[in-house]
Amino acid sequence: MKLAHHLGGIENLGPVNTDTRVFVEPWEQRIFGIHTVMMAESAHLSAAGHAYPVDTLPTAFKNDWTWASLRTGAEDMNPFEYFKFRYYEKWLGGIAQFFVDQGYITAEELAEKTAHFRADPHAALPERPNPALSEQVNAYLQNGDSPHHENDAPPRFAAGDTVCVADPQAVDHTRLPGYLRNRRGVIDRVYPGQYSYFVSTGVDGIGQAMPVYRVAFDAADIWGPGKSEPNTTIYADLFEAYVQPAN
Amino acid sequence: MSNLFEFPEDREASSAAKVRALEALLIEKGVIGSDSVDAVLKHFETMAGPFNGAKIVAHAWVDPAYRQRLLDDTPKAIAELSLPLGMAGAEGEHMAAVANDEHVHNLIICTLCSCYPWPVLGLPPYWYKDPVFRARGVREPRAVLQEFGVTVPPDKEVKVWDSSAQIRWFVVPERPANTAHLSEAELAALVTPESMMGVALVAAPTA
Repeated sequence: MKLAHHLGGIENLGPVNTDTRVFVEPWEQRIFGIHTVMMAESAHLSAAGHAYPVDTLPTAFKNDWTWASLRTGAEDMNPFEYFKFRYYEKWLGGIAQFFVDQGYITAEELAEKTAHFRADPHAALPERPNPALSEQVNAYLQNGDSPHHENDAPPRFAAGDTVCVADPQAVDHTRLPGYLRNRRGVIDRVYPGQYSYFVSTGVDGIGQAMPVYRVAFDAADIWGPGKSEPNTTIYADLFEAYVQPAN
Repeated sequence: MSNLFEFPEDREASSAAKVRALEALLIEKGVIGSDSVDAVLKHFETMAGPFNGAKIVAHAWVDPAYRQRLLDDTPKAIAELSLPLGMAGAEGEHMAAVANDEHVHNLIICTLCSCYPWPVLGLPPYWYKDPVFRARGVREPRAVLQEFGVTVPPDKEVKVWDSSAQIRWFVVPERPANTAHLSEAELAALVTPESMMGVALVAAPTA
């Protein structure tokens, strides 16, 4: 059971943080940028709906890197550390470890180079522009990576149907918020076509293209009467694998 | 939450050095170019940001027919306006707008991660990514909104939108009173990212 799968609904955490800054520290911009470049040069984009020339990009990066990669890493974290570290601190830890694990860099050279910049924070970065990669970054940001597929196959449920959310075996990664498991809701909208996901989540059930439903839940049905605020509706977009008939 | 944990004194300096080391190594190894990260950051300064969402909201305020089209088919309505390229780009491939009115207050959340409509709102602010907001926003949205300074009367419905699949949601906030004299550009200047996620109302200019 992973904290990140069941974060929604946890009590007794104290006041929310209302900081409106995107980047709390200037260094956070750089890890956000590195992650986004990785998404733009991810090997999986050669098969994306929008044809990207990643096969021929002048880059040493040959892995898939998608939101699923980053999310799976965050979901794997120690729950105390998940609360301890700021958002981009988690990204920095996860992405640096990915490059070590995949053999792009070694832990030793990262430590050595970190000590170098710790001693001289303004030491220059190497100057090696990659115009073709910048072009791909812009193309990816402007055109995206839509998971939508045209498909006329009739979806299993229709708007107005009462459904019950599935409770699949917990695995490393999911797009099913834990607080919705086994809860009853009503299909509010059937999105046209079908939607795939970056990776297969195995017995969790998503990956292949399937319908997605907007499901409405009465907050009292989720948290219990007397344990929820009045007059509150929660909407979630759920892949068909997560939706079952209500008995 | 962070006061429960101990951090080294050089917390930020250490992360700053590590991220610079990582970027330097990735450039040396040919994984990224020395101009790659800057290309990403430039996109969010010039192309994708809350300045786009604010224009969309202001136009919806002055044109009720447009507001309806925006709610019915958000990508198509966004494409009607003169906005930068990429309004259906990364993290905006499938966007949907929901509107606040006298009966409904909408709150956008992502309990699993930090899904956010990049083309029209740019990158998510810290509060949206913080686990305490993501934990509490679905269970006690009215209490959370109160902490942001927004009081929702009990007879007004709260709708919470948990971004768990492909749709990236944003809110068309209510137009503040006493703004009939303002131009569309002046109205857009009042619209904040927080108001387009539902944790703030739009205030009329005080001057």
